Amino acid sequence: MHEVSPALHTAEVVHWIALVVMAIVYTLRIRWLLSFNLGKDKSAPGNPTQSDKKRGVRYSLFNVAMPWSMESTRKPKGFVFYLSFVIFHLGVVAGITLAFVSTIAPDFLRFPAVGWTMMFFIVAAFLVSLYRIARRTLRPLMRLISTPDDYFSLIMLTVWFAIGAATQAHLMGIWGVTSDVVQIAYLYLTSFFLLYVPFSKISHYLYYPFTRTYIGRALGHRGSYPVSRG
Amino acid sequence: MANQKTHKIKMMEEQLAKKLNRQVVGSLVGCVHCGMCDESCHYVLAFPDDHKMTPSYKADQVRKLFKANHDWTGSVFPWWVGADKVPLSDDDLETLKDIAFGTCTNCRRCTLSCPMGVDTATLNRIMRGLLSHVGVMPEGVRVVSKDQWELGNQMGVLKEDYLDTLGWMSEELEEDLGHDKAAILVEKKGAKVMYCVNPREVKYDPRTIKEAALIFWAAGEDWTMPTEGWDNTNFGLFSGDDGLGGVSAKKLYDKARELGVDKIVISECGHGFRSTRCEGVNWAGEGEPMPMESSVMTMLNYVKEGRIKVDPTKNPEKMTFHDSCNNARSCGFYEEPRELLKLVSMDLQEMYPNRAEGFCCTGGGGAMSMSEYTPRRLESGKIKVDQIRATGAEVVVTSCHNCVDGLNDLIKHYGLDCEVKQLVNLVANALVLDEAKKPAEEAQPGDIAVTKVAGEEPLAGRKILVVDDEEDVRLFLTTVFEDAGAEVITAMDGNEAVSMAREHQPDLISLDLSMPGKDGVEAFVELRKTPETEEIPVCVVTGHPEFRQVIYDRPVAPPEGYLGKPVDEDKLVAYAHHIIEHREEKAN
Repeated sequence: MHEVSPALHTAEVVHWIALVVMAIVYTLRIRWLLSFNLGKDKSAPGNPTQSDKKRGVRYSLFNVAMPWSMESTRKPKGFVFYLSFVIFHLGVVAGITLAFVSTIAPDFLRFPAVGWTMMFFIVAAFLVSLYRIARRTLRPLMRLISTPDDYFSLIMLTVWFAIGAATQAHLMGIWGVTSDVVQIAYLYLTSFFLLYVPFSKISHYLYYPFTRTYIGRALGHRGSYPVSRG
Repeated sequence: MANQKTHKIKMMEEQLAKKLNRQVVGSLVGCVHCGMCDESCHYVLAFPDDHKMTPSYKADQVRKLFKANHDWTGSVFPWWVGADKVPLSDDDLETLKDIAFGTCTNCRRCTLSCPMGVDTATLNRIMRGLLSHVGVMPEGVRVVSKDQWELGNQMGVLKEDYLDTLGWMSEELEEDLGHDKAAILVEKKGAKVMYCVNPREVKYDPRTIKEAALIFWAAGEDWTMPTEGWDNTNFGLFSGDDGLGGVSAKKLYDKARELGVDKIVISECGHGFRSTRCEGVNWAGEGEPMPMESSVMTMLNYVKEGRIKVDPTKNPEKMTFHDSCNNARSCGFYEEPRELLKLVSMDLQEMYPNRAEGFCCTGGGGAMSMSEYTPRRLESGKIKVDQIRATGAEVVVTSCHNCVDGLNDLIKHYGLDCEVKQLVNLVANALVLDEAKKPAEEAQPGDIAVTKVAGEEPLAGRKILVVDDEEDVRLFLTTVFEDAGAEVITAMDGNEAVSMAREHQPDLISLDLSMPGKDGVEAFVELRKTPETEEIPVCVVTGHPEFRQVIYDRPVAPPEGYLGKPVDEDKLVAYAHHIIEHREEKAN
């Protein structure tokens, strides 16, 4: 497909193996969650005029795209955090895309429009990560509720974004990044990231569809989802 | 050895495994510690510098137990995910008790603010359940749970007292209306509606039962009240004890089936509605739950169907509506109360936020029965007080008895110039009776005045001991009782009260709780433990209704009455009359 150095080739192989391992572990994770009984609400719909499980689930799953739906993201302070959340997660998507596409179609990432878009999201996410590190370490509340996993996951992603930006620069041939060492480092870090994720808080995105579906179905059935304000 | 778990901790871990289902596990593994739930909690807003108030911290207490025992990483590297800080000693459990019961009313507001959909309130309830399972709970929760297990209602109301109260209300209706057609029928088989109430109504506010009876009669409803399974509340919701929840709910369902009613109507009680209508069905394992509805829905339908007529001009005050968390957030029941309120009153001012996003009254989650947390609870109510104050309302309307008590406490504590009413009060007051149904006399429906006893000096020949340290209160109570025909003697503190009770053997003692020297609680206990005074009925009249649990927790028979200041004159006389008569009936 493309010519690479032996070191980079090895990194690419490790990276794909890590992906397979991650897929297996994720499958086991989901199996573990599904091994618990699904609690069933046998009560009649809470409010016949408002109750709708499916509508509740839809609302719940998509409230990530509706910052007005929750007070925590609607208020100005919360909205700033919401924006940082959006940028951070778009950066993660860009970073994952970079890792995979760089191993199979690096030329695609050299198109200026694609390359600079990737660069924008990764750098923006890096900056948001720094803000998040500051928020988690400086705010007493955040320190109280944070575990070593919370700090490590965040720091790891921050480093991953930084090396990802360097990798993208290397692929685009800009900023004087000529060595493929950064790309090798990026792929090894991504491999570690993929292997670590199922055992850390980062696996929350695996659970997200489940937790949001469960709460959406529960509150949709009762009639309090979607939230109505007067 | 120091790190060995106690037997209680091991029992909690075993119990936790039984409480895990997919939804609960999702909430346990889904939290990313983002802190977004923080400001949704009224405790956080009241105590911004105490970060242990934040919902995720509270939920982490049960999360740690879960991770240490069930999570991959937590089992191998507990310190990495915070699972190393699990409770080990029984002292740790006391700390957990304080968190789970004393810093959260399970109002579920944080759940709605969680981007991950983590149901933190459910996790806190699970922690309560684990603690209750090993006997670690506030004394009030223990007493109330025991009453519900043993007597079938959470306030320990005896069957004879319950039936006596229903009889009393029927008599009053007869006096108001001039006929006995509105009398409360008990155990009527084949009735269409079984009406179940909160024991608070029987014990402290029977007026609401009378008003409901009046409305049922005006609507031509075929209804009844049961002798058992009449308590719509369920302390299992608050203690986290699903076993108690199931047994209590089943009592009600079984009774409804035995009577062959078409539906159960639940009086205005948020946790009663949620536990009977929604959660109880699951706790009791009901296959096909029978129709159940809130009395608000029943009254609304009566108005909409033209079964009763109402005149909103009879309720002209500026009002605001407080959503019970259990009704609004957990049962989607928030528009119907407003619809009814608009039909029976003139001026509704919304408070913000409202409906499913409304703030807790501070009385939820069983908080009213945990007197040790009262100061913290009252402070946490500042956000609710600010909300009410901003509306300028004279009346706060709510469809929940816990909220009535919670809001009344806040109103007194913060000096708000308003009162709390329920929709049943307003509907009864706005009721327009047909010519055929109008009372012969001028008595107004919904008017709680005890016309018969008032006209005949109901307390004539009675001796009442008024105990209160405030001179103006003593004077007021003395005047009211004397106007009702009683002979009144007074005492200024607990010591004087005990000695005067011994000497004069009054028919009733009106007792304040908060007094210098020997306070009312100590005096009450001494009165109950002294052979010469143990039979004298006591009606507590206090400016601190939040102390009620303090007195009900004493290891003596509870007081015969409990009224909050400022006390309504008619209500006071009616209570005094009723208590004395009831005592005499019992003696005979």
